Amino acid sequence: MRLFAKVSILNFAAYRFDMIVRMLVSIMHLAADLIGVWTIFSNTKALAGWKWQHLCVVVGVFRIVAGGIRMSIVPNMRRVLEDIMDGTLDFVLLKPVNAQYLVSIREFVVWRIVDVLLGAIIAAYGCIQLNGYMPLGAVALFVFMLLAGFIIVYCLWLMLATLCFWFVRIQNIEMVFWNVFEAARFPIVVYPNWVQWTFTFLIPLAFIITFPAAAFTGGMNMIRPFHIAMAWIMAVAMFILSGWFWRIGLRRYSGASA
Amino acid sequence: MRQLARSFTAFLKTGIGVMLQYRGEIVLWSVWGLVNPLVLYAVFKAGAQSNPDQQIAGLSIGEVAAYFFTIMIIGHLSAAWDTHEMGWYVRTGRMSPLLLRPIMPIWKSLADNLSYKVCTLVFVGPMWIFFALLIRPTFDTAAWQVALGLVATLLAIVLSYTFNYAVALIAFWATKLDAVGEIYFGLVMFLGGRFAPLPAMPGKIRWIAEALPFQYMAYFPTWIFMGKVHTRSEVFLGLAAQLAWIAVSILVLRLMWAAAVKRYTAVSG
Amino acid sequence: MPQIEIENLSKTFKVPEREAGLAAALRSVFRRKYKEVAAVDRVNFAVEQAEIVGFLGPNGAGKTTTLKMLSGLLHPTAGVARVMGHTPWKREAAYLRRISMLMGQRSQMQWDLPAIDSFFVHAAVYGIPKDDYKTTLDELVELLDIGGILKKQVRTLSLGERMKCEICVSLLHRPAVLFLDEPTIGVDITMQARIRKFIGEYNRKHGATIILTSHYMADVTALCKRIIVIDHGHILFDGQLGELSGRLAPFKVIKIDLDRELDGYDFASIGEVLLKEARKVEVRVPRDRAPAVAEKLLSDLPVQDLTIEDPPIENVIAMAFGGKAGAPPSAAEPAAEAARA
Repeated sequence: MRLFAKVSILNFAAYRFDMIVRMLVSIMHLAADLIGVWTIFSNTKALAGWKWQHLCVVVGVFRIVAGGIRMSIVPNMRRVLEDIMDGTLDFVLLKPVNAQYLVSIREFVVWRIVDVLLGAIIAAYGCIQLNGYMPLGAVALFVFMLLAGFIIVYCLWLMLATLCFWFVRIQNIEMVFWNVFEAARFPIVVYPNWVQWTFTFLIPLAFIITFPAAAFTGGMNMIRPFHIAMAWIMAVAMFILSGWFWRIGLRRYSGASA
Repeated sequence: MRQLARSFTAFLKTGIGVMLQYRGEIVLWSVWGLVNPLVLYAVFKAGAQSNPDQQIAGLSIGEVAAYFFTIMIIGHLSAAWDTHEMGWYVRTGRMSPLLLRPIMPIWKSLADNLSYKVCTLVFVGPMWIFFALLIRPTFDTAAWQVALGLVATLLAIVLSYTFNYAVALIAFWATKLDAVGEIYFGLVMFLGGRFAPLPAMPGKIRWIAEALPFQYMAYFPTWIFMGKVHTRSEVFLGLAAQLAWIAVSILVLRLMWAAAVKRYTAVSG
Repeated sequence: MPQIEIENLSKTFKVPEREAGLAAALRSVFRRKYKEVAAVDRVNFAVEQAEIVGFLGPNGAGKTTTLKMLSGLLHPTAGVARVMGHTPWKREAAYLRRISMLMGQRSQMQWDLPAIDSFFVHAAVYGIPKDDYKTTLDELVELLDIGGILKKQVRTLSLGERMKCEICVSLLHRPAVLFLDEPTIGVDITMQARIRKFIGEYNRKHGATIILTSHYMADVTALCKRIIVIDHGHILFDGQLGELSGRLAPFKVIKIDLDRELDGYDFASIGEVLLKEARKVEVRVPRDRAPAVAEKLLSDLPVQDLTIEDPPIENVIAMAFGGKAGAPPSAAEPAAEAARA
């Protein structure tokens, strides 16, 4: 244990400049998000009923989710793509552990937790600004909804990664996700109905940012039991769907190289 | 001069060749430039709808649509990304073979930039038309404003490229700092009117933006096309400012390039 | 009048110094210490037109650094160099058009396009008239035998094929001076021989001056009458190939693998013992005694495997010029890497 700590401190000293720069960049991104909110609310009082405090929470939740994605999902998915391209996925398949589980937890980028922490701070700030305090019920509900949202994010990524079993050259598949995820930076209520529908049932972005943000600020006022049920049903459904898709891709891969 | 033209043409030919190889990727790269203005349009439209006069920053909803639609196009045409790539070229030593050539590397970069824009037109062009039908921008523009707007757009493209390249050269010194691209992008976003029309920006930011060239890279031509620059003299003043900033950029670029090469050949070659 | 003249050329790099251990690492967070490393130290030589000079030395000796200074990619800390009347690090376009540098590790070509496209761009950039381009290209394609791969994407070429295309590209503008930095590194033996043959022919036909670096002795013996040996930034030897072989300690290394463990055999009496393990022994013997010693070992001992080898060039140089046997590579080139980072 001590050895690992020592090694990681040595690594830290070696890359200290990188670390500082990365943290500054994280802070910069958060500042940019907040300048955005500041700009919008210099010109209006609400976005489809969502006030600036709500938007602070949205910004915070976006940071938390983006940080979490970059911490655990992106490194694993990148590695899976490399494995598929190099044919080294075989090593994973030989192990006695479920392949999907293994490829999902192999990599972890610790420093990205900075994004998650910054996001949490801003979200908390927004909530307190609105309610005067942080209702514990809202926090609990928030975590509950965030979990559902994160499962959905994971499933979306898994499906994107699975595409690589067919289109081996999609290195920029990440970009597909971030481009579409742009739309989740703001609560989906700002979009026309047909877009909201798309983001709820087709590409479930709504459950990733909007729902958890609503839970945090409004608690049970903004989130009805029906919403909670919808989020979790979607999470479970996506999990089953993406797992099934992954197995099909895996079969193709094994078939192809055998 | 003829030598330069021959080299540049060759760079363009091969640049387009490479872009065609990467046609899937370049489509992906151009998607953000389409999605982002649309998202912001939805946001500012919602903001306008919450205001009693259904306006935001003095723009009607149709004008908000016009703003983001126009800046979507001009933004795409004036895109420049050397700030993101220069660091990589310097750090990996890929600059060396380029420095062996009897021609400045900027010409190849410029050719790649233009090749990208030419090749993506096939995809983004129809998307632009589709979006126009979707969000229904309203314009109140006179013919002379359109004409001068085109001139401003051309100058904006030149300015955007040269200023970006000059800033990108910082990478020769800040070899470990890979944030130049990110920071520059942020500045263009907020000080260049990409996030919101400059009149909508909070006072302090507006004040900083006035002194910088970012406003002339996409915002100024957009504003002309919307008919919001009302007198010819205002337009000409703006065009003059663009030319001045282009001159400054080129001067800074030349000075920095000489220093950058000196630095590179001192440290690593 | 020599075509290349170098006087007291030196290049020093500042390298961050890092000691081992946790305390030192933490200290380095707050204050960086630098060490000055001389990659090239007061080097002098001159090269006449159409000479092929072999520049030999172990990793980190200063070969690449010297070539980079001669091609204008690096400017020196001290000293003077004139190539065809130009100062290389001024990077005048007229100078750059008359030289060429081939770096084994760096590509001059566009990876996603066929090689012929890169040739076309090269011709445009160097202002090669259309007719000259065609003639030169045809000649090079034939000499290098790359006709079949011209239309293949560079990314898909094997290392040997790519090297041939790199050589072609660097000669399209008929440079008067050619700097080849490890041109055969990583390439298989047959291809190495072919590339060497080509370089020799090219030099005979066109009178191009060539400086070739390598840490393979074979590259140099095949092509160069004149050799410059460099180590730790200093020139150790500058003269004819024949002299070098003579001055080199004429040794061979005999390595044997034994069937079983052996005790008590007096290896020291037959040669210098380099390595002695339970079942493996290495001895260094004078070149002319090697066959006799080998015969003796084979008859005396239960030998499973026996090889007779040339000592590695690092050791040869170290031995011949009085350094420690098996001296570790100098810090100079890793320093350059670090400085680049």
